[in-house]
Amino acid sequence: MTTDNALDQQPLDRTIDRRAFLARSAALAAATAGTVVLPGLAGVAVAAPGPASGPAAARFNPELDKPAAYNKPRADTMSEPTEWTVSEAAWMIRQKKITPEELVKAYLDRIAAYEPTYQAFNLVLAEQAVKAAKQLANRPHRGPLHGIPLAIKDNYFTEGVPTTANSYLFKDFVPPYDATSVAKLVAQGGIVLGKTQMGPLATTRATTPNGEITTVNAWTPTNPATNPGGSSTGTATAVAGRLATAGTGTQTGGSITAPSNAQNLTGLKPTMGRVSLAGIIPLSYTRDHPGPLARDAKDAAIMLMAMAGEDPADPRSEGLPPVPNLINAATPRYEGNRLRMRWKTRIGVLPGYADGTSETARARQAFLAALAEIPDATLVDVPYPDDWDLLTGSAFNNVRLPERSEPFMPYLRTDLKGFGVSLTGWLQGAMLGANAFITGQRAKLVLLERVLDQIFGKCDVVVQTSPTPFDAIGLPEIGFPIGFTAAGVPIGTILGGLPYAEDRLLSVVAAYQAVSDWHWRRPPNPPAAGGAQARTAAGSRGRLTAEEVAELSQ
Amino acid sequence: MAPTPPTDDELNTFIRAHLASLGIDLDQLPAGTAADPVTGSPGRDSVLASLRSFMRSTVPALAEYQLPTPGTTDPALAMALSQQPAPMLYPSISTEWRTS
Repeated sequence: MTTDNALDQQPLDRTIDRRAFLARSAALAAATAGTVVLPGLAGVAVAAPGPASGPAAARFNPELDKPAAYNKPRADTMSEPTEWTVSEAAWMIRQKKITPEELVKAYLDRIAAYEPTYQAFNLVLAEQAVKAAKQLANRPHRGPLHGIPLAIKDNYFTEGVPTTANSYLFKDFVPPYDATSVAKLVAQGGIVLGKTQMGPLATTRATTPNGEITTVNAWTPTNPATNPGGSSTGTATAVAGRLATAGTGTQTGGSITAPSNAQNLTGLKPTMGRVSLAGIIPLSYTRDHPGPLARDAKDAAIMLMAMAGEDPADPRSEGLPPVPNLINAATPRYEGNRLRMRWKTRIGVLPGYADGTSETARARQAFLAALAEIPDATLVDVPYPDDWDLLTGSAFNNVRLPERSEPFMPYLRTDLKGFGVSLTGWLQGAMLGANAFITGQRAKLVLLERVLDQIFGKCDVVVQTSPTPFDAIGLPEIGFPIGFTAAGVPIGTILGGLPYAEDRLLSVVAAYQAVSDWHWRRPPNPPAAGGAQARTAAGSRGRLTAEEVAELSQ
Repeated sequence: MAPTPPTDDELNTFIRAHLASLGIDLDQLPAGTAADPVTGSPGRDSVLASLRSFMRSTVPALAEYQLPTPGTTDPALAMALSQQPAPMLYPSISTEWRTS
């Protein structure tokens, strides 16, 4: 039976969201005919990449301005603004006990004293940051990021500011617009304090394009041999070393969680598409994940809430579930004085995760024991899915490499030396045929379905022994501190979650951080050194060869 | 019967030819195994060695992989049924498609 309802008179094509359909049908088309179109890169005439790209797409999000986003600083930190978390600094700014300018200058003082040793930044935007802070003093309060100094990884476009990805190829690249996520952070009142060092083209720990080690681990500033984690090394060192309150990273193969684990930070790699990649130099179209590196779960939530959401300039970000209130999710829940999990949560433990007597194993054992003590948390043993080693091993991981080489073809054809020590992976990508690429995409879906069925059939979050599998299938991961070695080097771990489960991951880490204090610990100040002297000594920190970079590459 | 695996010389020729067909000239790199002293980019022979290894490991591993079929599948049908699973560039998003 038919009706005269006006809607029934509509042809079906008028009831489909055309843009969402395009995003959803991009998958195979991109695999066979090229790649999802992104905003132009260096040397490409940049038209506006979408109807509302970059800054135009960045609107103030009032959802961040919740009571849970503000915390009065701990009593013993009141005189040390650079000790504060984002939420603590936000409380002080909102209470007018400190101005954004004073906070920025406190960080600039530390940068002047210690950056020559840390070498966390490619570029410090001191004047620009002070100017922005002064302007914010006269503007309506913008929420918890109002006046907060941020460290931005140097593969995020920053309008009018060089964006190099630590590569010769981008040494002269000055983007004409901000990355969408940078624009969003600024729209919330965040201040870009500088651009941070990274592995060249987001491959390894931070080095110069020719492999000279630059950035050190903030916990061992006089020992460059201690891995600071990569590729978001500079952001991690800046946040850990109190040169910035929080910052951004990108992760394709552990580049947020590894430096977070190495430097006692909480880093959140969101679900693929949760944060727009528009205006970020690509390493992979299907595995690049922008996200925050922060000092605790609450700060990671504030940062991710600011960065996340749909962006017409990036179809990968469209058609997803709405971003929930992550700040509330990252707030510990109490019944009376008793801490509880925000939601009943089964924590999956993979075979061998906490076995042995090493410092890491003992830290993992203590971490699991602490979680098990929290009401509404349950530990459950979960298996590795079928063919785990094969489907997460190096051959299937290498399927990402053509995505690396394809957008760089103009450079590969003209300037091989411009890739410096990072070249090998790009040439490997050029050697891998489309057959192998398609096989990889098919296997990726098999792996995802096995993870969803065989792991998440039994649990809600799962420990990780490597970030790579969940990077490959685009599932969210959070890295956070669980202890220290006898030598004082941080030990971290990673939890992985279901698609879009950033809220769940944050709730678990927030509960753990309510019963642990690792995240409150800060490294001692490094020995101050003369800037020029320290910079020229950078080469003495060691040098990675192209072969080592290929081995370590993200 | 499996074909005879290519020799180093054959692989070198193939790699150079394939890259040349893409417009990529390995002669931009310094000869031998020593890295370029300024840029750190690897020497030509080092690159060829790495790419030969890649062609002997990653490429065959992917080529010989047959997509799985449900566990009870008759082995005689496995090859035909292995064609059914589709590729997916953004698998995490696909989970949303299936629940929306």
